[in-house]
Amino acid sequence: MKKSGHKNISCQEALKRVFDYIDNHIEDVSRDEFEQHIEKCRHCFDRVEFEKLLKSRLRTLQARRSTDRLRKRVDDIITKF
Amino acid sequence: MKLTYEEQRQFKSHVLPLLDDLHRLAYYLCHNENDAEDLVAETVKKACEKFRSLRDLGKIKPWLFRILRNTFISFCRERKKYATIEYDENNENEDERFSLFTEVSQPFLLWWGNPERELVNKLLEDDIKKAIAEVPDDFRFVVVLCDVEGLSYDDISKMLDIPIGTVRSRIARGRSILQKKLYDHAVERGLIRKREHRHEKIRS
Repeated sequence: MKKSGHKNISCQEALKRVFDYIDNHIEDVSRDEFEQHIEKCRHCFDRVEFEKLLKSRLRTLQARRSTDRLRKRVDDIITKF
Repeated sequence: MKLTYEEQRQFKSHVLPLLDDLHRLAYYLCHNENDAEDLVAETVKKACEKFRSLRDLGKIKPWLFRILRNTFISFCRERKKYATIEYDENNENEDERFSLFTEVSQPFLLWWGNPERELVNKLLEDDIKKAIAEVPDDFRFVVVLCDVEGLSYDDISKMLDIPIGTVRSRIARGRSILQKKLYDHAVERGLIRKREHRHEKIRS
């Protein structure tokens, strides 16, 4: 349901807000307008889902761990310093 | 000046838990394991030297990331083998307006058909790493900080000492460039077929 004081936004306007939305860098009013739009527009909804999926795929790269060799090297640097 | 025993202990207890983060970031800057380890080692040396100037231990992570980035810039100057990928402001190209979703999605498929999501699931870690390595340095750094490390725009802004608006635009442009590289890798590996260029469908 449309909230009072919120405007309907176009796909063009919605596309400008996609990254702000998925990065949670968006003000409340903008977020509400955006969510109202994607509730009705499959194209923009799919775009948001895609960008979220890709972002979460990149997040899986975080599993990379430092090697024992590096840990030993760093420990030596600190101890000698 | 040498750290006291207590300072050493404090430094270790704060820095060692962040080693994975430093190593990962170094890897995405250098693109290979040995250089990444050298970069982390040099970063830790510099951090030891500057440790007494760090007033708030709660900010040690952005502080270390900033030292790592500055050390990387020195590495690039010293070691010719680090060919940094420069970005030419005057030569914006189509990569910056590229959307993988627009290229791959097929809006007329029934609701369960989702080629763009299938593609993301088919991409190997190696495809993604190669694509990240091809993004120009300034853009790669913010995309890695935001998408791999999960930092907020505000944290990135403070870390790099650049306005939030600049962070926002670099992330948007960096992601577009990254998506174009991913697309190229996917075409090369035969995961998708190259399509004739088409424009984003905008509905008003």
